[in-house]
Amino acid sequence: MSLTDRIAQGLASGWKVTDGATLTENQTHEADVVVVGTGAGGGTTAEILAKSGLSVILVEEGRLYYQKDFKMDELTSYANLYQEGMSRVTKDGAIAILQGRCVGGSTTVNWTSSFRTPDETLTYWSEKFGLDNLTPDAMAPWFEGREERHSMAPWQVAPNVNNDVLRQGCEKLGYKWQIIPRNVKGCWNLGYCGVGCPTNAKQGALMTTIPGALDNQARLFHGLRAERLVMNQDRIEHLQASAMNSDGVEPSGVTVTLKARHFVVAASAIGSPGLLLRSEIPDPFRRIGKRSFIHPVNATVAQMPEKVDPFYGAPQSIYSDEFNFKNGVNGPVGFKLEVPPLHPAMSSGVIPGHGRAQIDAMTGLPWTQSVLALIRDGFHPESPGGTVSIRDDGSPMLDYPVTDYLWKGLREAFYTMAEIQFAAGAKKVRLVHLDSDWYDNWADAKTAIANIAMEPHRVRLFTAHQMGGCGMGSDPENSVVNGFGEHHHVSNLSVHDASIFPTSIGANPQLSVYALAARNSSRLAHRLGR
Amino acid sequence: MIDDQANSHTDGLTNTGRRNFLKTGMAGTLFLGTVSISASLSGCATAPAGRLSAVGTRMDARYRFRFLTREDIQLFEALLPAIIGPGLPEQPLARRTAIASSIERIDSGIYNFGPANQRELRRLFDLLNFGLTRVTIARVWSSWPNVTTSEADAFLERWRTSSLGLFNNGYIALTKISNVAFYGHRDQWHLSGYPGPPQYAVEALPQFNNA
Repeated sequence: MSLTDRIAQGLASGWKVTDGATLTENQTHEADVVVVGTGAGGGTTAEILAKSGLSVILVEEGRLYYQKDFKMDELTSYANLYQEGMSRVTKDGAIAILQGRCVGGSTTVNWTSSFRTPDETLTYWSEKFGLDNLTPDAMAPWFEGREERHSMAPWQVAPNVNNDVLRQGCEKLGYKWQIIPRNVKGCWNLGYCGVGCPTNAKQGALMTTIPGALDNQARLFHGLRAERLVMNQDRIEHLQASAMNSDGVEPSGVTVTLKARHFVVAASAIGSPGLLLRSEIPDPFRRIGKRSFIHPVNATVAQMPEKVDPFYGAPQSIYSDEFNFKNGVNGPVGFKLEVPPLHPAMSSGVIPGHGRAQIDAMTGLPWTQSVLALIRDGFHPESPGGTVSIRDDGSPMLDYPVTDYLWKGLREAFYTMAEIQFAAGAKKVRLVHLDSDWYDNWADAKTAIANIAMEPHRVRLFTAHQMGGCGMGSDPENSVVNGFGEHHHVSNLSVHDASIFPTSIGANPQLSVYALAARNSSRLAHRLGR
Repeated sequence: MIDDQANSHTDGLTNTGRRNFLKTGMAGTLFLGTVSISASLSGCATAPAGRLSAVGTRMDARYRFRFLTREDIQLFEALLPAIIGPGLPEQPLARRTAIASSIERIDSGIYNFGPANQRELRRLFDLLNFGLTRVTIARVWSSWPNVTTSEADAFLERWRTSSLGLFNNGYIALTKISNVAFYGHRDQWHLSGYPGPPQYAVEALPQFNNA
């Protein structure tokens, strides 16, 4: 391959990148800062600290995949690029968790939607969690800076039919809709964002901050699992890490010890609380792993009279916030409406069924359209979130009970999504639910939704947004870090990822993570500056 | 010891106590754990099948199974005709090939799920393979190689429509991994009318040009 790929080029130019699978003996390395995780938070942190002149080591459990590996194939991508080979679920198995596990983290596989943290959310945080420095005005320059760094702008190309159905339905019903900002540069409008961008157009961590950090002498270890932060008195002295075999599944037995002045944990809202719990980091009020949020997602699918080809074109370009904050921040739960791309493996895994019914649903894929609702959890007393804990083998697990308050919102979302699809001309609509039939008209769908069981396992639920678990706040009794991501009790530990959100965002979280990580890393660079 | 456990399960399973017993996730997990232990103590093969000869239904002797046991393979050979149904080719050789290659992809998929989820699936498969629990929990009377497609379909339908979340979860686990392994592969893309990645992109991008 010619050296037009940013990663191939960098590797050829001598970036300090080590594949854990190649290590044959235990070793120790040292830097000013060790950053655990290479996603939205870790990449941003590493680039800003490295540019400020600090020595940085980046640690990633997943492996380094880049253009040569991105062949628009679902099966290999889900197996290699996602947590637990795309099989991650909540403790009871009722909610599927889509989360990246590779260099760039979820930014390598997300669908590029780039929203600022809604003003309502920031205002709620400052009022409820004492985060006075995080007002919309104070955050605006940080959002602007990151929008520029990641080339985020409202999508200029016409939406694909899948997205346009959402627009048409909203238009007909008088619901507001808008165009989604995307983080892309020279996008080919192919539709394969979820399996690794084949053209290097997506400006996630893999194409921006990771190269930025490596160009500035940062070192990257991939295929290396952060096992345990080891304290000496009141400070973290080193990180104990395990090299993974080249298949990424089991550790090889080789250990790596990483010493630093400061440690930044950015291993995601499941990985970060997991690491802190394994490490038995001081937690006098037992807050680590609590208040975990996921934007529970339910969906409906429609058969349209015209071809949708939901596998082609920018996966997400239209959204509706009509119902997101309609009842105030903490009234009955709100939701954001978007659409998912549908490729064969994803569709056959998401649409529940077997035999004749399943192949009938699959045969209609080119005419299939889908709408999803992101439930804005965490703003109401009856939405206290889930809990991350560690299993016997030390791996993290999320327990997320769905409360009656959330079920009510999910049923409302079913109504709204089906209504929109029929308004846009759907021939028939079904819920992504074990008991759902296809409904030929809005009246039948409405009756069915009123009576369908809203229960775990029967309603198929998903999340691609994991947040919370190391929540920020001014009061150590109900938070893990302060408003700058600095741990309340350990002076050389920061958390720079979505785990610090005190509630869910109410929008796809990547820009919120980028912006907070940039803000908190700039402060950290100043603090550690020589 | 094993017999006692087995008897108490049988008793519990013949009456409504079974429902209550399985209602909570914890009880379910403990139960499945017990089955797993019982199954391995009673001699069920829990070792991955490794390489199988091409004789019989295995079409690719080069593939090495890293998770599925020989019994698991028989389980999926019985279930796939019901899960995929009319999507499978009717011509016998093509049908055997489609089933065998799907089972290989199920195996490689599960291998990537990692240890924690592999343990969960081990429990589920042991439960279905172990004669006593196959009969009592799945209500499948014959061993899997003798199960007809309509019996397999009836079993899937019972678990899909059950009021017990544990069974719904088992249904989703079995059908999801099977559907993804089948419909997700290029050999079956035509069934969903998916043309594959845009040809002009494949021709233009360096990663597809291995020359």
